[in-house]
Amino acid sequence: MSWRWVIVPVLVLVGGTRIWLRYRRRHPRRGAPRALSSHAVLHGKVGLVASREIRERLRGRLFRVSSAIILIVVAGAILIPKITSSPAPPEKVGVVGALATPERQLVVAVGEDTGTKVVFSSEASTAAAGRALRAGTIDVCIDGDRLIVDESSPSGDTFVQGLAEELGVQLAYQQAKLSPVQAETVARAKPFEVVNLKAATKTTVRTTSLIGVILIFIMLSQYLTWTLMGVMEEKSSRVVEVLLAAMRPIELLSGKVLGIGLMAMGQAALAVGFALVLAEAVGSSLLHGTAPVELAAVLVWLVLGYAFYCWVYAAAGSLVERQDQVQTLVLPLSIPMIVGYIFALIVAPTGSPSTFFDVLAYVPLTAPFEMPVLVALGRVQWWEFAGSAMVSIVCTFFVARFAAGIYRRAILRTGGRVRLRQLLAGTKG
Amino acid sequence: MTRQLELQGLTRRFGAITALDDLSFSVPSGRVVGFLGPNGAGKTTTMRAIFGLTDLDAGTVRWGGAPVGETERNQFGYMPEERGLYPGMHVGEQLTYLGRLHGMAPPDAAASAGRWMERLSVAERAGDKVESLSHGNQQRVQLAAALVHDPEVLVLDEPLAGLDPIGIDSIREVLVEQAHAGRAVLFSSHQLDLVEDFCEDVVIIDHGRLVTSGSVDELATSGARRLVVRVEGDRQGRWAEGMPGVRISEAVAGAVRLVLGESVDSDDVLRAAMGAGRVTEFSFQRRRLSELFREALG
Repeated sequence: MSWRWVIVPVLVLVGGTRIWLRYRRRHPRRGAPRALSSHAVLHGKVGLVASREIRERLRGRLFRVSSAIILIVVAGAILIPKITSSPAPPEKVGVVGALATPERQLVVAVGEDTGTKVVFSSEASTAAAGRALRAGTIDVCIDGDRLIVDESSPSGDTFVQGLAEELGVQLAYQQAKLSPVQAETVARAKPFEVVNLKAATKTTVRTTSLIGVILIFIMLSQYLTWTLMGVMEEKSSRVVEVLLAAMRPIELLSGKVLGIGLMAMGQAALAVGFALVLAEAVGSSLLHGTAPVELAAVLVWLVLGYAFYCWVYAAAGSLVERQDQVQTLVLPLSIPMIVGYIFALIVAPTGSPSTFFDVLAYVPLTAPFEMPVLVALGRVQWWEFAGSAMVSIVCTFFVARFAAGIYRRAILRTGGRVRLRQLLAGTKG
Repeated sequence: MTRQLELQGLTRRFGAITALDDLSFSVPSGRVVGFLGPNGAGKTTTMRAIFGLTDLDAGTVRWGGAPVGETERNQFGYMPEERGLYPGMHVGEQLTYLGRLHGMAPPDAAASAGRWMERLSVAERAGDKVESLSHGNQQRVQLAAALVHDPEVLVLDEPLAGLDPIGIDSIREVLVEQAHAGRAVLFSSHQLDLVEDFCEDVVIIDHGRLVTSGSVDELATSGARRLVVRVEGDRQGRWAEGMPGVRISEAVAGAVRLVLGESVDSDDVLRAAMGAGRVTEFSFQRRRLSELFREALG
């Protein structure tokens, strides 16, 4: 199968990386350190801080493990439907007596409609057909104007049901003495077209949006936690005092959220790139049709969601300096995200959003989850999408200003959790 | 040209507490200045103020006559009281990174980090994480972090705390060398005898106010005369108790240090000592920094 050509290189890549990292751990560099220019593609102090974040995170086991998990989830989402939808085994149709050519063609057509091939066999008598059915050498037998099966629940077999209906109709045509032309005209009867003023939604796009929303939640949770923990660690290790002697708080804060944000985008790009290559290789329909548009919406809201929340989490990290203090902060901070995520999970598969859901799509706290679902359902125009993005960007600006103020005042206060009340009371840092 | 770091009228209040109260002093380039004061006197707050790490209610910090801003601070090196480095980052990379944050080009920062690691005997640990180093080696790396960008001003908060004698010698050597190279060095310490050994100037503060400042030589030779007297059979100097104008400063290793009033004749003191027993030591000495410190703080 073609997907092996994707899995094998991925396994080779992962294995090679592990061997290389193990070698580096056993043979660390000694003497004068290497200049950081190769990593510091970003400029200025903000760029230096961001580059350090990226470098240190790339070295960490956490990033490699989370990347592997995301790739496995993506691969599963693409490969499992493909594997489970593989062609069914051929239907073995026994015939007692002769079967005219039009009926024979009809049986083949029903097989094509239900995704199976049809293999005919001739049965000497009804009794012989019964034995063949019980022995499993045939699945169904056409005996005059009836079908014989040996199944506990024949109504669940779509091939048999389709066959029964089509052969019945064919018999009715013959009994009505319709000419072949008339019979064909009737057979080609099409139902009236139903025009829906709302754009039609396909299951594929809904599935893509569902995967996208899950991806946004996993990645936002991971990277926002990194931001919070990173700020907290700089405070608790006191390195922040050395750093702030060389740069302004806003530079350190911006560099940190930029570095971690770029990591998030890199990981998302890796996941999407992997999904595209894998889907193409195995011929998955998951990324066909309007799914790429949905994918773009997911990426846009991953960026906007991170941009909005990262400042909040960074400011929260500056208030604490111990792990146990972090626990009390994370839950209240993550509630809006969880609410948005749960609503999106409920609506994405059903495709029927409420007005409240529509409203949540314009609230920056929940929009990263709701808006991609609305895009998948075809419920928003481009200007509505842009409007929600603008609301998020404007709110991000104000949130960033507020969070930077909190960070500046709190980051050098040590000796216990800093209360927001103390900072808002206006005492200086 | 001699430049100096000037602190003028620094005032900082934390609610009802005044941490710095119109504090002024200066640190000339080429000098090592010891910054002394009891716990809570305001030393750390003063040092943080130099780097803009605390908002001042009043006062200015100047370097070479100009107010200190971001550009000037790039030329300052800082070692905070609570040591701070990334625990999980490699020593060499961390020093290079800090050098670059102070505006150094990548090759210069890497070369300088290598030089300082050699100088402070931690070059072998360049590829190790900071958290894997001993306390003494972490202290050396912290000093290297303050020096890596070749700063004009060094501000070190308790750089000798927790070090063994070899570590202290190593850091003392570097500080003196830096001053001789024209840097202004300000450092705080509670180890007054060590400060006395290599400081040219001292600044003593208490309750955020300047108590005294000047060169160690001037301060040591000023004020009342000091006599060290050793009398066999009287290690505590009881013979001197009650002598008018004579105060026992301290008794150390069997000898007593006496502080003489202006009107006291040293011959009278010698006679009194001889009357108490055999005198094996009798010498005038400079005022020690620990004495100066105690006297200054009352």
